[in-house]
Amino acid sequence: MRELELYFGPQHLGMVGNFSITLQVEGDRILKATANPGYLHRGFEKLMEYRTWIQNFPLVCRINVVEPDHIEMVYAMAVEKLANIEVPERAHYVRSIYLELARVGSHLFGLWAYANMLGFDTVAQWAMYHRDLVMDLFEELTGGRVYHIYIWPGGVRRDFPVGFKDKIVNTLHSIGGCVPDYDNTFFNNRLFYDRAKGVGTVTREQAMAMGGTGQVMRATGMQYDIRKVEPYAAYDKVPWDVPTRKDGDAYSRIWVVRDEMIESVHMIFKLLDAMPEGEVYHRVPNPFKWKIPKGEAYVRCESSRGELGLYLVSNGENKPYRVHFRTPSYPHGLTILEKVLENASIADVGNIMISLYVVAPEIDR
Amino acid sequence: MATAVSNQGKTMNASLKKKLDSVFDKIHIAVPEETRMVVTVQKDAALSVLSFLKNQGFTHLGLISCVDWIHQQMFELVYILSAYMQDDEKTIDREKLHIILKAKIPRENPRFHSVIPIFENAEPYEREIHELFGIYFEGHPRLEPLFLERQYKIPPFRKDFDTRKYVRKTFDTIPPVEKKAGKR
Repeated sequence: MRELELYFGPQHLGMVGNFSITLQVEGDRILKATANPGYLHRGFEKLMEYRTWIQNFPLVCRINVVEPDHIEMVYAMAVEKLANIEVPERAHYVRSIYLELARVGSHLFGLWAYANMLGFDTVAQWAMYHRDLVMDLFEELTGGRVYHIYIWPGGVRRDFPVGFKDKIVNTLHSIGGCVPDYDNTFFNNRLFYDRAKGVGTVTREQAMAMGGTGQVMRATGMQYDIRKVEPYAAYDKVPWDVPTRKDGDAYSRIWVVRDEMIESVHMIFKLLDAMPEGEVYHRVPNPFKWKIPKGEAYVRCESSRGELGLYLVSNGENKPYRVHFRTPSYPHGLTILEKVLENASIADVGNIMISLYVVAPEIDR
Repeated sequence: MATAVSNQGKTMNASLKKKLDSVFDKIHIAVPEETRMVVTVQKDAALSVLSFLKNQGFTHLGLISCVDWIHQQMFELVYILSAYMQDDEKTIDREKLHIILKAKIPRENPRFHSVIPIFENAEPYEREIHELFGIYFEGHPRLEPLFLERQYKIPPFRKDFDTRKYVRKTFDTIPPVEKKAGKR
């Protein structure tokens, strides 16, 4: 049969985000896949070298459109480490609750993309609606719906407004009340099983060799989660579980996402109960003149896609000297995706890519 | 309980430091905090130290980065290693640690060995550094452009590439934000 070259994305119905894959195909079998990132390269890391430590906060959150909050967190953690700033106890809890809300919102967005791609339009619309409810919470807390700029070196910018705790509980109850509907329509649906079972399998060995983290790793049975491995914020203050599956295929990864959402909701309830009173912010020096001592730091946290790291170098100036983000989609979307697409069928490209949770802006930065 | 764990962590760090010191000479190891170890090596030793650390269980290459120390006329390559979990359910102290391995190379005609034979996922990172810093990695199978669509005389992430000068030259103007800031 004749070999063809096929362009999948950036303009394609099955593609979410500005990303493209060049496929060498024979019939409907893929011989070789080449990922082409760069459509969203904005050079953030270079731009940050021209801006002061605080000016960079509105910039970093733009790196990942879907979940800006974890990027804020990792940048704040790195600045705190370099400048040796303590964070008040209550702020740790507020940060954890905020990040878990972001995880729920991001997973709902991921579920929208995945269900939409498989043709489950109803489920996709539900997920989008429920994500909107989470965004309403963010709007009340921070004033922004998508980009929040809420986490700050030394804590968070402001405490929860009056009655906000109840709003979180009510919103999460109304989302949680729909889990049986999601299960009946999507997760326990035979069509989802048939489309996703055994598709895009990443074995434990492959994931370890190619830098897999997050759902890719947890779908192979390893409870690898930075929140457990190197706890930050208040994640070691309340008990919680890391959901896993065994098979490493698209089906397992999406089930891990579902279980994680539910675990996050339970965790938020526990954190709300355990949250102490007190300050949420330690003052930092005048941000216009703030110089941070020479040094380097690598910090990591668990975003909803996997291990998110930041290598930050200070030269003793009022601006960073070098910034480099380790984003989870980078190995997932470049190394693992190319490997897994070999011998897959064309119909499964979107399925595999979205189940790997690849987000293009995170790769390009 | 907490102190017991941290003592265990300290012994683990100390034994790893001892092992590295005994196997390699001209190596500098600092442990600024319990969860971080900074290893500085000569450029020729970098590959063997990386494969040694991989055999010690640090199988997760998190990131390869590059820093342009323009005043010293040096590039610094940075490899960040950590460990995956040994047991599926329990974490041990080794997994909390990350190692920052650093090697400096001269800025003039920069070349370095590719680490793909040791870590498969190094491929896109090295491609990115080649594109943004202009470092040539020997033995890399595809050093093609990753993000950029234009060719630049100076690779754009080097410190002597001035983005504002470039914008002014290419587009003949600079976004108005800077003008206003200047007037103030």
